Amino acid sequence: MTTLHVNGRAHELDVPADATLADVLRGSLGLYGVRVSCSEGECGSCTVLVDGKPVTACLMLAAQAEGAEITTIEGLAENGTLHPIQEAFIEEQGFQCGFCTPGFILGAKAFLDEHPVPTEEETALAMSGSICRCGSYPYIVQAVLSASRKLSGEPARTAS
Amino acid sequence: MAQNPTIPSAPATKRGALPHPEEFTIVGKGVPVKDAVEKVTGTLKYAVDFAVQDMVYGKILRSPHAHARVVRIDTSAAEALPGVLGVVTHEDSPPGTWENAWFNYRGKILDGVARFVGDDVAAVAAVTEEIAENALDLIEVEWEPLSAVFDAEEAREPGAPQIRVEGNERPAYTVEWGDVAEGEAEADVVVECDVRFESQQMASIGRNACIAEWQGDRVTLWTSSQSPTEVRDGIHEAFQIPLSKVRVIALPVGSSFGLWWSANFMMITALLARKVRRPVKIELTNEECFSAVKRRHKEHTRGRMGCTQDGELTFAQFDNVIDNGAYGFKDDVGFFCVDMWGRAHHGSWAIHGVNTNLCTAGCMRAVGDITLGSCVERLADQLAEQIDMDPVEFRLKNQIGAGDELRMQHSRMNMKGSLEEYVAGIPPELREHWPELFHLSSGGTKDILTRGAEEFRWRERWRGWRAPYASEGPKRRAVGVGTGCHVCGVEFEGATSAVVRINPDGSAQVSAAFGRQGQGSETTLTQVAAEALGIPYELVEIDAGDTGSGPWSHGSLASNTLYRIGWAVWAASLDARRQLLEIAAREFFDGADPAELDVQGGLVHRRNGGSGVEVPVEAVMNELRSDSLGQTSSITGRPAMPMPPAVAFARHFAAHFVDVEVDVETGEIALLDYLACQDSGTIINPQVMKNQAIGGSLCGAGFALCEHLVFGEDGRILNANLLDYKLLRAADFPTSGKVLFGNSYDPVGPFGARGAGEASAIPPGPAITQAVYNAVGVWIDMPLTPERVLAALGKTG
Repeated sequence: MTTLHVNGRAHELDVPADATLADVLRGSLGLYGVRVSCSEGECGSCTVLVDGKPVTACLMLAAQAEGAEITTIEGLAENGTLHPIQEAFIEEQGFQCGFCTPGFILGAKAFLDEHPVPTEEETALAMSGSICRCGSYPYIVQAVLSASRKLSGEPARTAS
Repeated sequence: MAQNPTIPSAPATKRGALPHPEEFTIVGKGVPVKDAVEKVTGTLKYAVDFAVQDMVYGKILRSPHAHARVVRIDTSAAEALPGVLGVVTHEDSPPGTWENAWFNYRGKILDGVARFVGDDVAAVAAVTEEIAENALDLIEVEWEPLSAVFDAEEAREPGAPQIRVEGNERPAYTVEWGDVAEGEAEADVVVECDVRFESQQMASIGRNACIAEWQGDRVTLWTSSQSPTEVRDGIHEAFQIPLSKVRVIALPVGSSFGLWWSANFMMITALLARKVRRPVKIELTNEECFSAVKRRHKEHTRGRMGCTQDGELTFAQFDNVIDNGAYGFKDDVGFFCVDMWGRAHHGSWAIHGVNTNLCTAGCMRAVGDITLGSCVERLADQLAEQIDMDPVEFRLKNQIGAGDELRMQHSRMNMKGSLEEYVAGIPPELREHWPELFHLSSGGTKDILTRGAEEFRWRERWRGWRAPYASEGPKRRAVGVGTGCHVCGVEFEGATSAVVRINPDGSAQVSAAFGRQGQGSETTLTQVAAEALGIPYELVEIDAGDTGSGPWSHGSLASNTLYRIGWAVWAASLDARRQLLEIAAREFFDGADPAELDVQGGLVHRRNGGSGVEVPVEAVMNELRSDSLGQTSSITGRPAMPMPPAVAFARHFAAHFVDVEVDVETGEIALLDYLACQDSGTIINPQVMKNQAIGGSLCGAGFALCEHLVFGEDGRILNANLLDYKLLRAADFPTSGKVLFGNSYDPVGPFGARGAGEASAIPPGPAITQAVYNAVGVWIDMPLTPERVLAALGKTG
């Protein structure tokens, strides 16, 4: 049995050796917010946080995540209150179809944890790990900058 | 628009007939989309996330050959594999041919002939997906290879391999006016082009799945689709069962752009489920989505245009060959650039739809106009340069405006009899309120080009043809402008409808058959219903995509949803409101004329103040429940009349301005600044519309800069994955997301709105190409990859 810590809860699971983290989170735990598209780490839709770092769950074996704290989009809102990044994505409408959105939001969470007051350019580059085929990029970047202001209480830096 | 007792018009306002968005209560407001919380919490369910009880899994065997006939197929080893429940081949396939909307697909489900690498051959159902996949390897197929053809021009030649029983080529679709020879004689300057386009992949990130379940002779399908009724009609045609036996529930789509209308894999899922008598789910891999469903047409465009010394277009002559791939069956493609540039004195346009042994091609966002339209723009630019005219000015001079005749008159062919006979057959009470057919009813590029140029500071930044405004080391900077026009839905298959119910508690429910691919229609259509009903937005819900409740409509394609389904929702809401006010007048307002009553914010009251009495809608509905006349206890509204034919007068427009930097040493192009201007009439939800305008810009910029499928010698798609098929990312596009809306008001659409989704994908190509030309002095065919830029500059080889 493998123990996975997901969104603050422990789960004992019978995980095949070749099962990806995405397979297990979706198939065994019903966390469908882990979106799988390309299965080769390109699109970023399946991004989850493993000990706070963004990881494409389609490329990581579930067994490799044992002992780590895994956060999926389902674990971001607390007691039904949206995380400020989620709120900012709604306010700026940083999405259209919504398929890539969990990956972008978790990528933004990891980015803002490391860079609380980023520039617009840094944000655009950091958000380039995921693909939004609908093309909401400018509003995704604006959402992350808006979330940065909410979380840090400081205005965004401008490029030097 | 004149007032008419039988056609309820938009609410009267102090401005008279044309209400302004500021005077609406919910229309024009950028409310968050209805499913915003589901999207940011990851709880929205797409078809790939969906399951039903007792479901088993299917996989499709795909052809390794571009063109081959199945001589013998042996499924016995596959059937014997433990866990396999059944296999379907062409021997199980019903004889019916099914068609997708506007001939995007025409064929049988399986017919024993493979027409492209990746074509459907057979399918297996098993208790797990892994077993189904393993069983595919156990199906033995003996093939008779047939000669194949991959180039549309070659496929037109006599003696070319024949791909379809109908032959490879469709009858040419032509538009002619005047006499091109005269136009040439009138011209002081003539230019020409010969451009071959690559194929863009919709590259829908969400993939797709379909679940089919038969109960007796009835079948239900759950799938991600833009057009649930098209899926239902496809099942009806393929299986030759009554429409009443088919229910399709279209789930949200993880982006689409034309990929997910109806698709043969949905038909195969139904076939497999019927065979094994279990619900079956087929989930496509990313590679299957990329290479076995649909893609944008490859096109070959040859054109000539001429103008006078003062910039008046005298003629436009184009010949366009489109490759339909294996199962596409189109002749016309978009073609609304013909309308936009229809002021040319003379015109001659021909489109040839041709089949090849490539993956099926079909409508992708801004079909035809993103390709053919970009050639028209290129030639317009070349003419403008020759007479030394600013490209904005040249467009202002030659593009149509409201009241001008529309040249693209395909829909005439779909009308019964001549146009005159058709018009004569329209009931007079309708006809007098219809816009003039085959003339543009409202909008155009004039307003957005003029105000857009000002906003973009075009006059400061434009330094003339082939004149970069900055040059530093290997980097050249210049600006460009492009325009585009597309339709607002067409009615080749009929008029759309919708149903609006007022519930006993005063809330309201809209049912309409459309898709949820991220365009926000569940929100904008609810705004339309709430505004028309006078019931608060928060109390109005919409049931999208269920053919069991929503009446027939084309679905969300051809920029149709807000205009035509929106019109149906508006008309159905007004019908429900009329019924509500009749009951309120009788029961609460002493038998007043219902026309004297109004409902706003869920309260019925007399217009112009009156007694000050306000009756909640819920109270009226409660009265209805206890009504001794035994009426039904809910109100159901439906459009009381057909919508006039949108294709005959409605278009939407876009004008984009771009600032680029070209590195002449690396061939790389960076987009420094971007302004997307959109004319779609009233903007129902500016937040939603901004995303459509910028999303279209990204789609068009991707096509302009990098996106293209690569086909191998056997026609196979070589880059059917996101590693090798490059899409733009956040850092590749200006982050300001600047959008400017036009000021037009549509006389027919709901609250003055028109279609919105596609025109924005057209201008990026022409604008970027023109800006690059201004930066480096060479016209380069799309996609403007670094390799092509360097080759054009003579820096490779």
